[in-house]
Amino acid sequence: MAFSTTVSQRKHIKRKAPRGFLKRVFKRQKPHLRLETRGDLLVHLNCLLFVHRLAEETRMNAFENKCGVIKKEHVQAAAKVILKKSRG
Amino acid sequence: MAEAMADSYDGDSEPTTRTLLRRVLDTADTRTPRRRRSARVGAQKALLEPPSSRRLSSPTKMNVRRRSHRVRSFGRLAHVHTSGNVEEQTPRTLLKNILLTAPESSIMRPESVVKPVPTPQVVQSSRRDSSRGSLELQLPELEPSTTLALGLLAPGRRKQRLRLSVFQQGVDQGLPLSQEPRGNASASSLTSSLNLTFATPLQPQSVQRPGLARRPPTHRAVDVGAFLQDLRDTSLALASPGDSLRTPVATLPTDTVLEDTQPFSQPLVGRSPNPGKPAQLLAGKAKKVDAHAVSFPNNSSTISGEDGVEPLQDGVDEEAEERMEESLSVSEVMDTTGTQGSVRTEKSKRHREMSEAVEAKEPEGSSGDEDISGRTASPELASSTTEFLQARQPQFLEPALPPRTAVLSSEPLEPLPTRLPPRARTPGPRPRQDPHKTGLSHYVKLFSFYAKMPMEKKALEMVEKCLDKYFQHLCDDLEVFAAHAGRKTVKPEDLELLMRRQGLVNDQVSLHVLVERYLPLEYRQLLIPCAFSGNSVFPAQ
Repeated sequence: MAFSTTVSQRKHIKRKAPRGFLKRVFKRQKPHLRLETRGDLLVHLNCLLFVHRLAEETRMNAFENKCGVIKKEHVQAAAKVILKKSRG
Repeated sequence: MAEAMADSYDGDSEPTTRTLLRRVLDTADTRTPRRRRSARVGAQKALLEPPSSRRLSSPTKMNVRRRSHRVRSFGRLAHVHTSGNVEEQTPRTLLKNILLTAPESSIMRPESVVKPVPTPQVVQSSRRDSSRGSLELQLPELEPSTTLALGLLAPGRRKQRLRLSVFQQGVDQGLPLSQEPRGNASASSLTSSLNLTFATPLQPQSVQRPGLARRPPTHRAVDVGAFLQDLRDTSLALASPGDSLRTPVATLPTDTVLEDTQPFSQPLVGRSPNPGKPAQLLAGKAKKVDAHAVSFPNNSSTISGEDGVEPLQDGVDEEAEERMEESLSVSEVMDTTGTQGSVRTEKSKRHREMSEAVEAKEPEGSSGDEDISGRTASPELASSTTEFLQARQPQFLEPALPPRTAVLSSEPLEPLPTRLPPRARTPGPRPRQDPHKTGLSHYVKLFSFYAKMPMEKKALEMVEKCLDKYFQHLCDDLEVFAAHAGRKTVKPEDLELLMRRQGLVNDQVSLHVLVERYLPLEYRQLLIPCAFSGNSVFPAQ
């Protein structure tokens, strides 16, 4: 697991928001709308929180199944719950 | 006499120290040989008066000096303005006090040499000695002190540096002067003691001078040299461990990146063994090259593939950058791109099919199709990837190879500078998917980081799909909110409303709190208005 920890740390280094990507996604989805400059940062924040919640839920599912590895099923179940929550 | 004068002086000037000293002096007068100060006193007086007349600014100093005269018996002066007590201080301390506090003065005159500040020497020399001796002692003693005192006192308060320089001058002058009276004075022992006294106070000053005047340059040189060496060491250290770190680590991130960049190639089982990935790639590359030999190396060699560059370059560049960051060697990248190119060629066909289907439908409805198509594609691709280099490629590669591989090969070689907007999106969904996957991969990585547990590749794919859905929901909601506000631009208020509806922001937790918690400082500054000087707020509201 040394690799995983190292990799996690390496991944963790990226704290930048992919602003271009976010803007592009929004443009693709809603070309008739515009997104403000600071709005995409908040979108990034929203994504972070979503991913965070998703990961927590997934972990809980994996623990419940007493798995040491996160499986697709865990993610699916968690996604159902969290996506419902994030409907707004 | 002198005392009277002193008293008169005292009376003119401040009462506190003077009065105290005066009393002490009066008591001490009896003992000091000062009484004799016929010539000396006269000289001192003479010295006192003119300098005192000059030093209007510092009457205290004058008194001090006078006191120093008188209080020979005691440790001459407890100087002073600071303390009115006539304590048995060392002459040196007293002298130093004078030096520090007394203002700058003009150059001492030989008369001034006789000036008081006998303190340092006095203590050392026996005051009880004959007045002569004492006088003699005092004279030389006085010289530096007087010079110092005069020099310091005369002009009034100046900077310490000036005083010191003047003092130095005075000392220098004092030294030769002192020697003269020494010659005059027969007290060899006393003079020797005086010499010693002169020497001792001078030494600290001489020591002080270099300390104040200059710093030993050698330190700087050494420091700089050491600093540069440290820089080099650290740079080397950074370079080497960075590379060393990258080598083992690069496998995983490049693994995921590669997987992410290639649409529907998530289940890239072939690359799962991370440490073996580069080996695999290389092996695969070798196989590929052997198998398909012709086009790959040729295409890879061609750096400038303008034809198909643009459509791919957009997303591929990002991937290439990512990979470049982490992969050590260009050859690896070449290999990976070669492999990816091969895989992409396969997928491109599938993409085209699916993209057509997808584009035909509306964005909202396309998600299901994408998912389906993605699902259909993924197993196919998985199978293909497993077979990978062997079976599929000959079918798909050759026709699509030339443009793709050329493009792909060009990517890593010119990743950054040749970044061009995708010329044509028509060639395929690749420009749409690859950057999309690249961006999503960012969040997928975050997911795996937050999860803190090993994850299967399928799980990561699932996460990607979830993110896709989430983004769609997000855009829809934002559109609704903006329309509700009668706007066509999505503003941060809409985002806040969304988060409030999601339950992330409530009365206990505000948006700013979340911003501060999760976003780095640079973004915080942009999002949270903060007051700056000049009655300005940034960002402006």
